[in-house]
Amino acid sequence: MATYLEFIQKNEEQDGVRFSWNVWPSSRLEATRMVVPLACLFTPLKERPDLPPVQYEPVLCSRPTCKAILNPLCQVDYRAKLWACNFCFQRNQFPPAYTGITEVNQPAELMPHFSTIEYVIQRGAQSPLIFLYVVDTCLEEDDLQALKESLQMSLSLLPPDALVGLITFGRMVQVHELSYEGISKSYVFRGTKDLTAKQIQDMLGLTKPAMPTQQARPAQPQEHPFVSSRFLQPVHKIDMNLTDLLGELQRDPWPVTQGKRPLRSTGVALSIAVGLLEGTFPNTGARIMLFTGGPPTQGPGMVVGDELKTPIRSWHDIEKDNARFMKKATKHYEMLANRAAANGHCVDIYACALDQTGLLEMKCCTNLTGGHMVMGDSFNTSLFKQTFQRIFSKDFNGNFRMAFGATLEVKTSRELKIAGAIGPCVSLNVKGPCVSENELGVGGTSQWKVCGLDPTSTLGVYFEVVNQHNAPIPQGGRGAIQFVTQYQHSSTQRRIRVTTIARNWADAQSQLRHIEAAFDQEAAAVLMARLGVFRAESEEGPDVLRWLDRQLIRLCQKFGQYNKEDPTSFRLSDSFSLYPQFMFHLRRSPFLQVFNNSPDESSYYRHHFARQDLTQSLIMIQPILYSYSFHGPPEPVLLDSSSILADRILLMDTFFQIVIYLGETIAQWRKAGYQDMPEYENFKHLLQAPLDDAQEILQARFPMPRYINTEHGGSQARFLLSKVNPSQTHNNLYAWGQETGAPILTDDVSLQVFMDHLKKLAVSSAC
Amino acid sequence: MAELYVKPGNKERGWNDPPQFSYGLQTQAVGSKRTPLTKRVAAAQDGSPRAPASETTPGPPPKGPPPPSDKAPRPSPVGSCPASSVKPPSFPVIKSETLLEDVLRPLEQALEDCRGHMRKQVCDDISRRLALLQEQWAGGKLSMPVKKRMALLVQELSSQRWDTADDIHRSLMVDHVTEVSQWMVGIKRLIAEKKSLSSEEEAAEKSAATTEENQTVPGFFGAP
Repeated sequence: MATYLEFIQKNEEQDGVRFSWNVWPSSRLEATRMVVPLACLFTPLKERPDLPPVQYEPVLCSRPTCKAILNPLCQVDYRAKLWACNFCFQRNQFPPAYTGITEVNQPAELMPHFSTIEYVIQRGAQSPLIFLYVVDTCLEEDDLQALKESLQMSLSLLPPDALVGLITFGRMVQVHELSYEGISKSYVFRGTKDLTAKQIQDMLGLTKPAMPTQQARPAQPQEHPFVSSRFLQPVHKIDMNLTDLLGELQRDPWPVTQGKRPLRSTGVALSIAVGLLEGTFPNTGARIMLFTGGPPTQGPGMVVGDELKTPIRSWHDIEKDNARFMKKATKHYEMLANRAAANGHCVDIYACALDQTGLLEMKCCTNLTGGHMVMGDSFNTSLFKQTFQRIFSKDFNGNFRMAFGATLEVKTSRELKIAGAIGPCVSLNVKGPCVSENELGVGGTSQWKVCGLDPTSTLGVYFEVVNQHNAPIPQGGRGAIQFVTQYQHSSTQRRIRVTTIARNWADAQSQLRHIEAAFDQEAAAVLMARLGVFRAESEEGPDVLRWLDRQLIRLCQKFGQYNKEDPTSFRLSDSFSLYPQFMFHLRRSPFLQVFNNSPDESSYYRHHFARQDLTQSLIMIQPILYSYSFHGPPEPVLLDSSSILADRILLMDTFFQIVIYLGETIAQWRKAGYQDMPEYENFKHLLQAPLDDAQEILQARFPMPRYINTEHGGSQARFLLSKVNPSQTHNNLYAWGQETGAPILTDDVSLQVFMDHLKKLAVSSAC
Repeated sequence: MAELYVKPGNKERGWNDPPQFSYGLQTQAVGSKRTPLTKRVAAAQDGSPRAPASETTPGPPPKGPPPPSDKAPRPSPVGSCPASSVKPPSFPVIKSETLLEDVLRPLEQALEDCRGHMRKQVCDDISRRLALLQEQWAGGKLSMPVKKRMALLVQELSSQRWDTADDIHRSLMVDHVTEVSQWMVGIKRLIAEKKSLSSEEEAAEKSAATTEENQTVPGFFGAP
């Protein structure tokens, strides 16, 4: 018999969904008492090597307010050639192409294992992929050179018919006209003055009709009418000239006097990029790629002044309301992000500098459009170079692992409503009967736009059970949800991916056990964490922690087994047992704690947390720790100071960092050079094993993590020490007696103390 | 086909910079998946550090040397096939000395073949880049791996294996961009032009246009 774990795993593999609850409480009242909302993590374009797309269009329910897509849950009358919509119960006639349909001759979309299916749409003009590079030239020579080379390299990785454009900026902004005639021309804009879309388009001459030179050629059916834009040209036509143009890029020529920052017009440059695409390729997939080496220092969107003696805002300044430019800058970038999103364009930010670059103010550009955010120290690092290369990585079919201009639509059966979504998306403000008034995340809509996504992009989608307490669910009834993702595939095809899932309803009073057993604590932890991080963007840190704590206590009260006022009697069943430790580590994570992080770093961490799939998100919440020793094969160990032993090597993965830590004895052995002696070859292998495993992670991770190789007593051991549960500290060291492990110098509470408090509160009748 | 290596990151410019994987390793990573390191151990419900199943080593940490090889089992990484065991697929061994002539002449020949089919300016542009390649090679500015892989690229080009040639060009751009970026784009264009030229010729030979069949009606499958 299949266990829930297997069921959950199969669902994730096949449909890209993980629900917090896999049996649903049948009334609104009972659902709210479950504490963790009915929600799911949904990966719209989950890689499915075993799922070839079908080359026809989906069949829609004929009810105008429904338009659900034919799926395996629909009742079919094969003799009358009718199907009943499982969402609105409308009876629909099959289209003429389906006349041959019988019980043994079914179209794919009716077969149970096609609960996820992908359609290729043949209609409509196909448009090429578009990449617009926006390049900061206020860089050090070494950095600029490395960036130029990476950009030149990218021309070899882009699909040959992709369109590419170039904007460079420093004190001024230059829009480069790309021609294959060998003469390069550019339009120069002042970096201090914001321009409207209309002004930008007028100045660039984009308002005129398509170039006459193109019209002289015989009409090509596939050709896009705007292909002639002088600023965006197919890679295969201008690669040579663009290589030279990039090669000749110089550092911003304006002198920077001592004690000043270079004047950097990032705000205007981005504004021009957004305006240019808006005017030439509205509603077409496109990617603006901003490469910057420092904060915007002039014009709209400036984050800090050019005086080096005034440092860029810190969390402290923000708390004291002392960040002069923050609000205005954020508003500028939000306006740009919304315009880009409205046109289906995504914005990436590659920020490489030792100091902050203004990611806090600019984050909405990536977060609302599904663009990438990459933070590094320099463009001349493997971290940047490989992360950038991986943007252009391909799947098993040789297709780019990127998709554009997606619309995610969610349909629910009538006992459910949609409360909202959290992920790299914007609301499309589509109201309807299945939209809840209570918002969780970005709500008030049944559709969201995701301008840029890849096979791992994951949204949290939150629901509300609306069935009334006294209106029972029909016997054996199931609730259903359909996800319809329309997007531009990297092969330029329009595609529609449809996932339809159903779950059983259960009466929470008589069948609580069923509901409990079908709880997915991993999904629940990530979904609650997303809600927490979403709140943290607008609320004070302590309030969010208090909210999370309260939810945890309520969950333990509801599902724990205990005698009132007796903490020692408290137990959680297997399906809930990990949840408290996820919350413990989440409270300590950089997603909720800003201490020791700059505002830019917090924005960066939260950006990635809000879009990764369940596995990666969970690694971010509670890092993975593996131990290597002579005592047996490598094994996962507790993320706890007691796991730090002298004769072990530890490998820790926090998603953003890979840490290898040699225990005291191992480090001494290595220092003594045993690994070089043939009779201790074994030791050499022991040292090598975690390196090989680390490499495996490094090879697959996006973005490239930092890689830390350290040992007992090393200064960088702090990365490990700050993540493990401090079960042994300088305060309780002696209480542990002979116990081995490493005491952590901290006053943070340990998991034990946390659990003690949790139990006390859970069993108390006071709250 | 491509080089497989890992080199250390740029620690001077980037704090804890990760190692850099060659193009070959990066593209190989797709598909070959080892056991992912995603297991975690649950803490006991009281939060105490002793894991239910894990054994703790009794007594003080061992002193003295590590156990010699014949006494302890050989540790291995978690994944089933360690990365170090990845053998570079065998490809024809290139003679130790790659001659400039052997690389340049076929490229120049290819350019001649395409001359009538490209605008003069593009031809000149490619020709200029070939000259640059010649200059850098003769000036000793190109490293051995670049020279060897260029020889391989030319071989593939001569055998009309356009996609392989293109892939070698890409691996050179990724792994050795500093050395090759200025002239490689000319080679890239040359590969593309040769490819389109040959497909044009093929099309002319066949003349019968093949109409692509697109399935526009639903695909029916027999139910089990």
